[in-house]
Amino acid sequence: MQPHAPRRSLSARVFHLLLRVLPEDVREGNGAEIEALFADQAADAHARGPLYHAAFVAGAAWDLVRRAPYEHWRRRGRHRNEDSPMRSFLADLRFAVRSFGRQPGATALIVLTLTLGIAANTAVFAIVDGLFLRPFPFPEPGRLVYLNERAPSWNLEFTGINYPDFHTWRERASTFESMALWGEASVNLADASGAERVNGLAVTWDFAKTLGIRPVLGRTFTKEEDGATPSRVVMIGYGLWQTRFAGSRDVVGQPLRINSRPYTIVGVLPREAEFPGNTQFWLPLNGDPNQKGENYGYDGIGRLKRGVTIEQARADLMRAHAPIWVARDSAHVVSPRLDGLRDQFVSNFRATGNVLGAGALLVLLIACANVAGAMLARSIFRGREIAIRQALGASARRVGRQLITESLALAAVAGAGGTLLGRWLLHLLLTFGPDQIPPWVQLQFGVRTIVFAVLVIAATALVFGLAPALQVQRADVTAQLVSGGAGTRASVGIPQRRMLDALVVAEIALALVLLAGSGLLVRAYTSLRNTDPGFRPEGVLTFRLSLPQAKYPSALAQRQFYSTVVDRLAATPGVQSAGVITCLPFGCHWGMFLRAEGAAPPSRNASNPVVLTRYASARYFETMGIRLVRGRFFTDTEGGPTGPHPVVINEQLAKQLWPNVADPVGKRMIWNGDTTSTDWLTVVGVVRDVRHYGLVKPMIGGLYRSAFEADTVQPLASLGIAVRSASGEAAVAGAARAIVKALDPELPLIEVRSAQAALDRSIADRRTIAFVFAAFAGIALALALGGMYAVLSYVVGRRRQEIGIRMALGARKGQVVGLVVRQGLRLVAVGVLIGLPISLVALRELSSLLVGVSARDPVTYSVAILLLAATAAVSALIPARRAAGVDPKTALGEG
Amino acid sequence: MPDMRRPWFYILLSLAQRDRHGSGIVRDVLDLTSGELRLWPVTLYGSLDELRENGWIREVGAAPVADEDRGHRRWFRITPQGRRALVGEMERMQSIVTVAQRRLAGLGDPS
Repeated sequence: MQPHAPRRSLSARVFHLLLRVLPEDVREGNGAEIEALFADQAADAHARGPLYHAAFVAGAAWDLVRRAPYEHWRRRGRHRNEDSPMRSFLADLRFAVRSFGRQPGATALIVLTLTLGIAANTAVFAIVDGLFLRPFPFPEPGRLVYLNERAPSWNLEFTGINYPDFHTWRERASTFESMALWGEASVNLADASGAERVNGLAVTWDFAKTLGIRPVLGRTFTKEEDGATPSRVVMIGYGLWQTRFAGSRDVVGQPLRINSRPYTIVGVLPREAEFPGNTQFWLPLNGDPNQKGENYGYDGIGRLKRGVTIEQARADLMRAHAPIWVARDSAHVVSPRLDGLRDQFVSNFRATGNVLGAGALLVLLIACANVAGAMLARSIFRGREIAIRQALGASARRVGRQLITESLALAAVAGAGGTLLGRWLLHLLLTFGPDQIPPWVQLQFGVRTIVFAVLVIAATALVFGLAPALQVQRADVTAQLVSGGAGTRASVGIPQRRMLDALVVAEIALALVLLAGSGLLVRAYTSLRNTDPGFRPEGVLTFRLSLPQAKYPSALAQRQFYSTVVDRLAATPGVQSAGVITCLPFGCHWGMFLRAEGAAPPSRNASNPVVLTRYASARYFETMGIRLVRGRFFTDTEGGPTGPHPVVINEQLAKQLWPNVADPVGKRMIWNGDTTSTDWLTVVGVVRDVRHYGLVKPMIGGLYRSAFEADTVQPLASLGIAVRSASGEAAVAGAARAIVKALDPELPLIEVRSAQAALDRSIADRRTIAFVFAAFAGIALALALGGMYAVLSYVVGRRRQEIGIRMALGARKGQVVGLVVRQGLRLVAVGVLIGLPISLVALRELSSLLVGVSARDPVTYSVAILLLAATAAVSALIPARRAAGVDPKTALGEG
Repeated sequence: MPDMRRPWFYILLSLAQRDRHGSGIVRDVLDLTSGELRLWPVTLYGSLDELRENGWIREVGAAPVADEDRGHRRWFRITPQGRRALVGEMERMQSIVTVAQRRLAGLGDPS
């Protein structure tokens, strides 16, 4: 075919592509000649120089672009009888735009409805995608697993990993390419610019290799640096590198003062090394395989060899663990556990994600049903027009396609709007949502969300376009034309009425699911809010201090420092009291195992729940407003290394250790495993349970010892301070900063917040989900009622004549109103009958989020149903009054 | 009658001399206009289509002289209607030229 050079030049290929803008028959008839001529002349031009050639190509391309519209225009109308899909689509589209333009109000309502549905879906998808669908930012993330240990008899699903256990696993397990440990490490960084508290990890030397990341600069730790003797080397995170060192490339080898000791920077971590959250540096873990005693507390990560399944790895890990059971744990109290990495870090959000996703989908379905109803009503009104088109030879398929095109056009507009609104919604959700989402999770509105939105829009268009299109397929053309079609005389066709009714019933049923669901979530949230946290948060400010061992080497030095801080705080005007504790509510956890005096040592398989152990100053209870149930608080002068050890226990521990004793004051207990029986702890008081793990989780047994009894450095290294004042938290925070700075300018205040904020934060995710679901339910209710209003108005319009006859025969206005309202209520009744069992089954999925409320709470369901019925009656009233206003003479005169 | 479009006029003029193929027309028109009018490929073939639809030119199967530009499939020839259209255009131009000459010479318009 091509008479010219077999190998086309680049310009010829571009020109070839450009030719596609010409009408098809031009290309068929002349394409080869045009290209040949182009190539011919381009070659001539080329011979005269590159500039000449370029000018020629540009000229030819410009000619093509300029002429193309004319060529299309010239062919207009030439193919009127050919039904090319593109042409008929464009015609349908023009038609759709014109017909929507005639009803701007109704169209705007439809678009708005869909926009809301699509916005909810895209926003929620962005969250679900970030949490559950996006891969970890590491190579081959599917091979990464999370390692830990469990001890069911201690009531612990995660004990943390014991370093010697890990050492054994690493040597014996064969299905892992590598495995590593990490522990959280927060340090004080100090330099001339001031003191700063930063979070990081202590990691084994092969942590980077296991994750599959490389340092941006420098190197990772060597095996020797991770030996049993500590080494002063550090890898800094990307953020720290940028903020503290301005991204300078000669940072490797420079010193960094950590906890008042000099360290050497050996490398810079890439951004993704923020895992598992806000990590700004790595230190060597320096574990000791011969460590004595059970010190569980590390997290583990493993990279499986290619082709190894989780089950195989799990079995391999059990096998590797076997010698430990033989050597020191014959009852198998502690056993290793292995889970998918993602499951471990996002499992908290799974229920939330599912619930939000389901809620958004329900809203979209209701929006679709609503719009389908509106479109159907339109198509019925347009019955005559459609019938005429069919009589003139348009196939049912052709008319159906017209209707689908209309829905596509609507969905496209709503999709664009919904995507924009969704973006904003996502922003809103993230602003008010839970802040505990791991920072490596990317919650953004990216390409994937847009793709999802497009899919949703297309599916939406199909769903709501289908109902009217199906209607056309079975429309009876003759009947429509003979009866006068859309004329007011004809009564509504039975199948059309049924379809409209079915759509409204579906909307009501789905709205009931959302209403009941949001009712349950809101009730659960309010019951959570009203839960007694065990302390009075009003007016209390809390913060933490962390004393570096280099400067405060003994418990005595630490105690003196804290005493000074607390005394000066208490002397500040406006401050009522101040106290210290090792772990503030919702903060850290330090567990111990206890045995009551007289009780037999627990058999190895018996349940032995861990007890939350805190050291507190005497005034801590008063400061936090913790109520005493029995006995008294200890005093700061009580106790000591030699004397009796007074402890205050919570009600839960009292029940646990002395279930049959009314007043445990005076009872004694001892650390499990303390065989010398010298360090008896004596109960001096019982206090209310402070919900240490948040209001959602049940409280475990806990006890308080006197902070001034702590005789080792470890417990007091990091301490929480609580201050109750009448002068406002901001003022107290300022005073606290000044006091600490005066004592030690290198010491930063950590987690400065009001106790109320900490409490709110602990239930923030429940608030978000309840709020979002309530918003969904509100939208659903409005949509369902809008749908019902539309259908009833339509029906009243179609039954004017019948109503007129009734009134002419003596029906009173009240009877007519009742007639219409009853019709609306009948729809609600059917919707509720269908929706109720669906809700009862579907909302069981919520149970993990429902604390203090049953998923079948009858009050919530009754209120939801009443709300639906009442608002439905109101929405039926407007068309009903219109019906009652029918003047029989006019209505009959129309006949 | 409106003016004939420029490409049409020059294509007809070119074909009035002899049958030509596409690039022959382009070259001839460049010569005729001293390089002022270049018929770009799409415009050329679009115009040829239009002229053919008007019945003013037709395609001929073979080159007029053996050996000449055998590579080209399509040759174009002016039809009698085409010649009439060209003559009509020429006369229109002629008449306006006559008017212009007389006015510039200070004479009255031709009756």
